[in-house]
Amino acid sequence: MNPQVFVDGIVAGSMIGLGAIGLTLVYSILRFPNFAHGELVTAGAYFALSLAALIGAAVGGTAPIGPFSFGWAIVLAALGAMVATAALALALDAVLFQRLRRRGAAVIIIVMASFGASLALRSGIEFVYTASPAYFTRELQIAMRLPGGLRVTPDQLAALALTAVLVVAVHLFVTRTAAGRAMRAVRENPALAALAGIDVDRTIRLVWVLGAALACAAGITAGLLIQIRPTMGFDLLLPLFAAAILGGVGSLPGAVVGGLVVGLGEALTVAFLGAEWRAGAAFMLLVAILVVRPNGLFGRAGG
Amino acid sequence: MEFVAYATFFGTVALSYALITLGLNVQWGQTGLFNVGVAAFVAVGAYTSAILTTPATEGRIGGFDLPLPVGWLAAAAAAALLANLVAWLTIRLRADYLAITTFGVAVAVQLAVLNLTPLTGGPFGITFIPRPFGAWASDPALFGFANLALVAATVLAVYAVLECLARSPWGRILRAVREDETAAEALGKSPRRLRIQAFTVGGAVMGLAGAVQAHFVGFIAPENFLPTLTFQVWAMLIVGGSGNNRGAILGAVLVWAIWAASGALIGAVVPAELQARAASLQIVMIGLALCAILLWRPGGLLPDRPRRPRAR
Amino acid sequence: MSRPVRLDGLVAGYERDLPIVKGVDFAVAAGEFVGIFGPNGAGKSTLVKAVAGAAATFGGAAFLGDTLLTGLPAHKVLGAGLAFVPQTENIFATLSIAENLQIAAEVLPRAARAARIGAMHAMFPDLARAPHRPAGSLSGGQRQMLAVARALIVSPDAIILDEPSAGLSPRLAHDVFTTLARINAAGTTIILVEQNVRAALAVVSRGIILVDGRVRLDAPAADLAARDDLGALFLGTAAAAA
Repeated sequence: MNPQVFVDGIVAGSMIGLGAIGLTLVYSILRFPNFAHGELVTAGAYFALSLAALIGAAVGGTAPIGPFSFGWAIVLAALGAMVATAALALALDAVLFQRLRRRGAAVIIIVMASFGASLALRSGIEFVYTASPAYFTRELQIAMRLPGGLRVTPDQLAALALTAVLVVAVHLFVTRTAAGRAMRAVRENPALAALAGIDVDRTIRLVWVLGAALACAAGITAGLLIQIRPTMGFDLLLPLFAAAILGGVGSLPGAVVGGLVVGLGEALTVAFLGAEWRAGAAFMLLVAILVVRPNGLFGRAGG
Repeated sequence: MEFVAYATFFGTVALSYALITLGLNVQWGQTGLFNVGVAAFVAVGAYTSAILTTPATEGRIGGFDLPLPVGWLAAAAAAALLANLVAWLTIRLRADYLAITTFGVAVAVQLAVLNLTPLTGGPFGITFIPRPFGAWASDPALFGFANLALVAATVLAVYAVLECLARSPWGRILRAVREDETAAEALGKSPRRLRIQAFTVGGAVMGLAGAVQAHFVGFIAPENFLPTLTFQVWAMLIVGGSGNNRGAILGAVLVWAIWAASGALIGAVVPAELQARAASLQIVMIGLALCAILLWRPGGLLPDRPRRPRAR
Repeated sequence: MSRPVRLDGLVAGYERDLPIVKGVDFAVAAGEFVGIFGPNGAGKSTLVKAVAGAAATFGGAAFLGDTLLTGLPAHKVLGAGLAFVPQTENIFATLSIAENLQIAAEVLPRAARAARIGAMHAMFPDLARAPHRPAGSLSGGQRQMLAVARALIVSPDAIILDEPSAGLSPRLAHDVFTTLARINAAGTTIILVEQNVRAALAVVSRGIILVDGRVRLDAPAADLAARDDLGALFLGTAAAAA
């Protein structure tokens, strides 16, 4: 077997992991699987695309940085897009999820609402940007040769590095800061958290901001490495869920490992069965983990 | 004349959706099981019947030319089998895992019908699916009415069976499980087995509905079974009132009417080159409607009947 | 510092048309130690939860000193100076012991936090022993101490405890009551909900008996302890006159 499969799998897996940490955070603290998370990924990519175009128009375009295909315009746009995606998530929570939570709606009703929101957002994005794919840059990437005949592009390396940095940063944030401690307290027991002096609404807003910013990062990475389409996030949703459940809902390192497993699974599927079956890998892994170990590889029993 | 032809066509399609919605009502309305993969069960039914009843075609497995009722029964059975498997796998787990798994099933079935080309025709789907009363096709009015009557009779029959089930001891225990799991368990009823049974019954109805649609339209392709279908059916059930079979039928007809009317409006008003774009607004509308009803009228138009006062 | 607590016709519960607390008036003076007793289902827990912002209030009001508590979210009630220790699930089991204390200390100005955590360690030495272990690993009595410490850390003007002795051995329950008496002696207003009436009457100065969501009797602890018809009072069959 060509070892290149592993490089492709790890690159794809790091992208999935990035999206899955956001999903798993929201899932464990707000206690529902958000089907609109994929649309946050998509919206993030399109926000960055639009902002990059605006910045490009304002300064007359920026040259690529070093060996990468993207310039400073895209880096700046990425930061702006994270803010915009976070705002979108907060708006969604304010008009939809928060009202349902306040009413004491069952988890599954909130899931259904997220399902409706996902559909509306996806089609809304398609209306604005049309269904045809878009690209951040047309620059060609020359793959670097690694020992063993492996090839990897500088952009892929940048994506891996970004994932690593963000995962470590989020992990430290959640385990070491007061805000992260509040998030873990709300995750365990929202009612007690309020009695212990935590502003639960503010903590939930913080979770959305963090989850959305990570979704946006995943969207921009996917947009850079592949392409930007209105369905990109929706197509990523099953791999994201598979990764989150594989890692144990709520476990950030678990989500990343789960993402890598799904990414490798997809790459192996492509190698052995053909590219048309790629999307089946996440489903098979999901079914396998539900049969064997429903709490995930790193999940606590009863989690 | 043209109006009558359109009305029968509209009625037939709307009622075929009503059938899917009835299936979802058994799963969600009566049992509280969240199925995000409705399209998958409909697709399995449609493809099963199509493969069994179409004449043999070169280069395609299947085409057994079997009689139509065999196809329909097999469609219900195949979808029931899939539903049973999914339920057996996930119902012991958390409710949200069932949602995620059914979502995965929809993706997997879509992938299978798209790629198992020798069996399913791949992206081009299956054509020349025999239509009921095909012998009368030369008289469009008679043909249309006959089809409408057949679909209406099927809806009525399924409605009657489901109402009987809902009123039977089985249906009463099902409600009891939905309301209070521990109490039902104390009575010695296994909530898990009941839920699996309900999910399977719902899946069978969806499979039958898929076959009915396939035979009415005459051809199927993977793009008929995208997540949008699942959304539409959910909107139909939520609008009509989950838990209520008549509400499910009413919701299906109403939402399909709105869908068809808005589609016609876009077709008439929007310039041709922008129509694909405007069609996405139609879907935005369904998504917003679903959220709006959940927020402001969670019971739907016809809420579940016996609203017993909550005791405590 | 200590402030009085006052309830004016408080109506509370989970459904507006089915209130569990049906109009309760009483006042607890600054520095007083009051017990709330009553049969199961009398509405004791709902009453104190409503005061703390953890259950809905449908009518009336609760005050801490001059501050209106009713309508405030739970975290603001704590900020206003009233701490509440729920009966069950009153610590964060997945967080470390230190984190449980740090969370409540967040309410204080930054400079004061370390000193207050130190004060809690001095009061409950068990909590200082292995601060980085998950709180879920503590024993029943230690958990109760952690929950009390979490409430005390903000130096509240008043503290409400919902059955702190539940599930504890008589010896540990006695320890909890002694600790509370010490805290009260230091000046903090305390309201204590208890099933364990005899043990509680030994430490409180006044008892309020709640039956079916209403105050049935409000009397000094010594008077209540002297009565031999407490059981009948709970059932509502004895005359309420003290």
